Amino acid sequence: MHMFNCPGGTMADDPQRNFRSAYYEKVGFRGVEEKKSLEILLKDNPLDLEKLSTFSQRFPLPSMYRIHVWKVLLGILPPHSDSHALVGGYRKEQYQDILEALEVMRYINSSTPSTHVYLRMFQLESQTLPRCSETSPPDEENEDFLSISRAMEEIVDDPVDCYWLVKCFVNQYHTKFGDSVPHLPKSLEHYLSQEEPRLLNHLKNSGALHQLPYNLWFRCCFAGCLPESSLQRVWDKVISGSCKILVFVALEILLSYKIILMGINRPEGMVKFLCNIPQENTDAIVTKAIDLWHKYSGTLIHAI
Amino acid sequence: MAREQPNVGDLLPLLETSDLHQLEEIRGLINEQLSTERGSMLLNTLVDYYLETNSAQAVHILSSVREPHDKHLLDKMNDCMTKQACRLPTLTLLGHVVRKQPSWIHKIARYPLLLSLLKCLKTDTDVVVLITGVLVLITLLPMIPQAGKQHLWEYFDIFGRLASWNLKNPGHVSEVYLIHLHASVYSLFHRLYGMYPCNFVSYLRSHYSMKENMETFEEVVKPMLEHVRIHPELVTGTKDHELDPTRWKKYEIHDIVIECAKVSLDPKEASCEEGYATMPENFYPQIHLRPQDCTSSPYPDLHSSYGSTSSTPFSTPRQPLPPPLSLPPFSGTQSSYRSPQTSRRQNSCELNSSCGGKDPLWSPSSLCGMTTPPSSRGMSPNLELSHSASHLPTPGGKGTPASSTPATSSPPPTLSDDFPVISLPANTVQSSPPRKVCSLNAILKMSIRSAITEELWKLTEEKLELSGVRGFDSPFYHTTETTQPGGEGRNSAVGLEQSCSFHTCFTPIEHHLHQSPSVPDDEVTKFGMFSPSPCSKTPAPVPYESFFDLALPRAASLFVHQKTSEVAHKVTMERLLQREEGLEDGEEEGVVSASPLEVLDRLVQQGSDAHDKVLKRLPLPSKSADWTHFGGSAPLDELHTLRSQLLLLHNQLLYERYKREQHAVRNRRLLRRIINATALEEQNNAMKDQLNLQSVDILSLRESLQVEQQRYRQLWEDRETVVTRLHSQIRQLQQGRDDYYTKNQELQSKLQEYQKKMDELEAELQRANNKVCHTGHLLNQMTIKLSNSESTQQQMSFLNKQLLLLGEAHKLSMQELQHADASNTKMLQVSYGKEVETLRQSLLVQGQKLEAAQQRVAELETLLSKKEHLIAEQKKFLEDVKCQAKAELQASDSRYQAQRRITQLLQTELLQLYSRVEMEAPASTTSCSPPEDSRPPHDSPHGNGSTLSPGQPKASNSSKSTANSINGSQELAPPLLVEPSLSCPHASLLTPLAASDTPLTVGSYPSAKSFLGMRARELFRNKSESQCDEDQPPPRLAGLAHGLKTELCVESISPSYIAPVSPAPSPIPPPPPPPVTPLTVPTKEPASEPKQQRASRQESLCRKTGAGPGGGRVQVGSSRPRQQQLKIMDYNETHHEHS
Repeated sequence: MHMFNCPGGTMADDPQRNFRSAYYEKVGFRGVEEKKSLEILLKDNPLDLEKLSTFSQRFPLPSMYRIHVWKVLLGILPPHSDSHALVGGYRKEQYQDILEALEVMRYINSSTPSTHVYLRMFQLESQTLPRCSETSPPDEENEDFLSISRAMEEIVDDPVDCYWLVKCFVNQYHTKFGDSVPHLPKSLEHYLSQEEPRLLNHLKNSGALHQLPYNLWFRCCFAGCLPESSLQRVWDKVISGSCKILVFVALEILLSYKIILMGINRPEGMVKFLCNIPQENTDAIVTKAIDLWHKYSGTLIHAI
Repeated sequence: MAREQPNVGDLLPLLETSDLHQLEEIRGLINEQLSTERGSMLLNTLVDYYLETNSAQAVHILSSVREPHDKHLLDKMNDCMTKQACRLPTLTLLGHVVRKQPSWIHKIARYPLLLSLLKCLKTDTDVVVLITGVLVLITLLPMIPQAGKQHLWEYFDIFGRLASWNLKNPGHVSEVYLIHLHASVYSLFHRLYGMYPCNFVSYLRSHYSMKENMETFEEVVKPMLEHVRIHPELVTGTKDHELDPTRWKKYEIHDIVIECAKVSLDPKEASCEEGYATMPENFYPQIHLRPQDCTSSPYPDLHSSYGSTSSTPFSTPRQPLPPPLSLPPFSGTQSSYRSPQTSRRQNSCELNSSCGGKDPLWSPSSLCGMTTPPSSRGMSPNLELSHSASHLPTPGGKGTPASSTPATSSPPPTLSDDFPVISLPANTVQSSPPRKVCSLNAILKMSIRSAITEELWKLTEEKLELSGVRGFDSPFYHTTETTQPGGEGRNSAVGLEQSCSFHTCFTPIEHHLHQSPSVPDDEVTKFGMFSPSPCSKTPAPVPYESFFDLALPRAASLFVHQKTSEVAHKVTMERLLQREEGLEDGEEEGVVSASPLEVLDRLVQQGSDAHDKVLKRLPLPSKSADWTHFGGSAPLDELHTLRSQLLLLHNQLLYERYKREQHAVRNRRLLRRIINATALEEQNNAMKDQLNLQSVDILSLRESLQVEQQRYRQLWEDRETVVTRLHSQIRQLQQGRDDYYTKNQELQSKLQEYQKKMDELEAELQRANNKVCHTGHLLNQMTIKLSNSESTQQQMSFLNKQLLLLGEAHKLSMQELQHADASNTKMLQVSYGKEVETLRQSLLVQGQKLEAAQQRVAELETLLSKKEHLIAEQKKFLEDVKCQAKAELQASDSRYQAQRRITQLLQTELLQLYSRVEMEAPASTTSCSPPEDSRPPHDSPHGNGSTLSPGQPKASNSSKSTANSINGSQELAPPLLVEPSLSCPHASLLTPLAASDTPLTVGSYPSAKSFLGMRARELFRNKSESQCDEDQPPPRLAGLAHGLKTELCVESISPSYIAPVSPAPSPIPPPPPPPVTPLTVPTKEPASEPKQQRASRQESLCRKTGAGPGGGRVQVGSSRPRQQQLKIMDYNETHHEHS
């Protein structure tokens, strides 16, 4: 990882660097210096994707750059900022073309909710669009897409960007983590056994372990489970190439509501609760989850 | 039954018939009746009949009734007992039955008859009844010993009552009865004392401790006590033990009788068995002296007769002995006496042999003895008969005694007739034989003891009056007397031998001798009538002897004889001793009271003597006369007394006979034991013999063993010597071998030495060889050196010659030199100088040139570095641009893909719509076909002509391949399910575009053919004022989409698509074929056409690039700032510049 040293390391040489920055972290202000370093990273031409993803993994993204960084990481925008406008135009055109085609073919109309529009477009692009006459209610996979797009819609304003982000997010998730997603419940069980074996035993004994909302967690990536403000921080990590974070978020949810969960004996009750967790302190949960994730994968990062 | 009953009752009187055959029949009838009938009727009538008539046959039948009738009989007798009149005959009948000893007799203890008997004995006052009852009781007691438990005290009471009766004499009966009573009480005393000593003694103690009974004790019981010894049971037993039924179980009846006899000291009562053999020694003197007492006793006059009678037994037993029949008895005895010198053993042998020899001569008696066991006996004499017999003259009875001589095998009938006449005077003799005959006396009465007593008696009392009439006896007697002094012992020994075989077994009780005389007379007479030989009842000693001979092997007889002789010897010795003692103080010892039996005996004797005396005087014919002969009618009282006396005697006799039978039974048991013992002895002897034989065998075996051992030892020694010899040989051989070994070793060591020497020599040899080699080598070297030196010498000589020659030449040249030296050097110097000058100038020129070249090199080097830098930058930029373009291309590609999807979707929609339209309007299909046909012509002007060929299906493959060949690896969209061939037209359509647009060939050195290469060229050209190449029209790309749309619309109409798309059976079969056939032809052409076109295009491209730097400018990139690329030098341009 010599290509990307610790941001502090790179910035130590930088004359513009704030001399106080060394103390920010100690006092607890995180992300003060990150923004700058991200800006520096984004000034590069072409953009270094590896550096960006590593940054995104290690530090929270400032929300003003989030969409840009996501787009770059997901390949919606090329690394060369020169071609951004061009490619952006392409994307928009493509979006409009597809939209038009769908409208023409009456798949959608003006009243169709945008998420469904995105779904149809996605289906069209992935050649899974059914005949207009044969349109069926969305199946499970489509539901995942819909929930993700719903969440994304909240995060992104521009529909073109939103569509592209959703599409690329889903595609990347499937191509990159399609193989490892089925193993996530196992790994959750493993970490849970390390963190809180009692809870694991309780889950096992009550039979809820296999009924946990894995679909919501590991297929929708918590879309619809966490509020968007927390969700985008999780997705930062997912987009930058780690699905493990999902496990830790799930683990942290379990740990946070451990007492409540221990009080519920019926697996259905637990699932119901977990599907509708309170939205208040999700930020804390996500922060803790990220810390936990860093803790467990920290050795990995430093080893590399 | 009932019908027959009177019949049988009528038959009863017929029992008295004299016809034997008829009697047998009647008896059989009655017995049959008894066996079939279970009722008591017949039995009762029988009993009644007996009570009436005293019939002997009735008694016979009654006493042999079997099991079911015993109850009736006993009940009936019980009934009769209650009647005073019937009591006596009933008791007599009971006595008969009891003596018969039937198998059920033990049951009597359970029947009331016993109680009534006891009661009668306790209460009755009739002496005759009492005596009879007591005798019955005495007989009965051993049969029901266990019943004593209940009735013991009644027995004792009876004893007490009867004992005191004697003294008090309440009925004032005659003395004769008292004697009888006393005798029976005496017997009862013996029985009770023998059976229940403890209880009896305790009874005596308690009963006679009372004052009123003291007298009785003194007078009656005490004398009785003198005749018994202390019973062993008194010491060991207890009262309860005596009454224990288990105690009696092991005893048989005769055992009990003998047990009782054992404790008695009275020779009349006692028996002497071996267990008590020591006992008689103390008492013999008394016994022997008793006769002397008798002299002083109230019956002194009996002595003479007693003595005579007792003397007879000696003669009579001897008489049968002599073997020769013809010889008179005396001679026989004399002969035996005359051979006193012969040893006893010889005697016995003789006797045995003679006995064996005379067996046939003894036929009557021996046969009888053998055929009839001793237990068999005739009926008891009929009382009536005996009564009548008593009336009969005795001579008749006396005649029969001679029938005892049948023992000497004289024919009885005749002899009996004659004999009385002959033996009339010798009445003493006559009286004795019958006695023996009828009561076993012939054999047994002759116990040695008694015999000797008699003898003694005769010897001592010789002076006593001897009855003048001694008939047969006297001569013999004299002979014995004469021989006595010398061979007395022998005599007795002989006598012993005759009887001792039995004497060892049991001692006969002597009172038989004395009791019998009168009654047996009658008996015998009666028997004489019934049976030809009275001997049948009394087995003679000889028969027993013969039994021995038959039953036992020789060893047994030997044993028996040895035994008898021993005993005889012992006894004789005692006799001799005691005789003298007895002679001296016989008188004084008369203190001992006489046994009541003895008293009775004497009474009988006296009666007999009196009878003899009185009746002898009567003439024979008048013997049958009754009492009236003596004057007047006989007093009734007297007659009654006599009769009852007779009855009592009879009873006594029967009792004694019963006792004797018990003895006989026992005798047989003991005989059996003897036989067994002898057999065992014999077996022992045989075993001993075997043992001896075996020991002999062992001895011989030992001897042979010794011999074998000796042989073995010798063999062993031989072997030892051989072994030692062999050992020595081995040792020698070993020594020899050792010698050889040492020699061998020496030789080997020598060999080694030699080998060492050899080695040394070989080493020396080697060294020598080495030296030789070395010298050889040296020699070679030397030869080489020699040759070298030789050649050198030759050279030397040659060089010397040369030297000489050179020296000559030198001399010559020196001479020449001296001639031509001056002119040549000057010329040479000038030329040389000039040459140097020219050379210096050229050097200068060359130096200048070099400087210039160096400068030029430096210049060029800087230029080179610059260029290299430029190239690196260019490369970097190229990379950058490449990435950018790649990203852009990806974006556009995705756009394109999206477009394709859209298009596909639209197409499918379209097709669907079409199919729907066609379905809806099938009629319009015909009209539709013409426009389809007309399309193709339209196509060609619309399309490029190069790309849009009508033959899509066939061309798709080729077009694909061409596209591949052009672009390297072009991603082909996977054919859709709905429109598989649809993508193909696009591919073929886009191929020209791809040739210029696809970024896939970008990564390599920019080639002129690729888009990048063109771009680069364009860039470079920008720097140099090269014109833009308008070859590829970028604007086409923008408009392409629109063009495509229309094209697709046109193409999709082509009928070739309809067939696969619409699975529905097309209603227009004709249209498809026509379009196909025309299409096939043009397909070929378009397939080749694009190639040609492409080739031409490439050519043109090459030309253009090669022609000038005017590359195609891309309008798309025109918007980009040109300044960036301005610095970049055109590679090709510079190259061209330099080249």
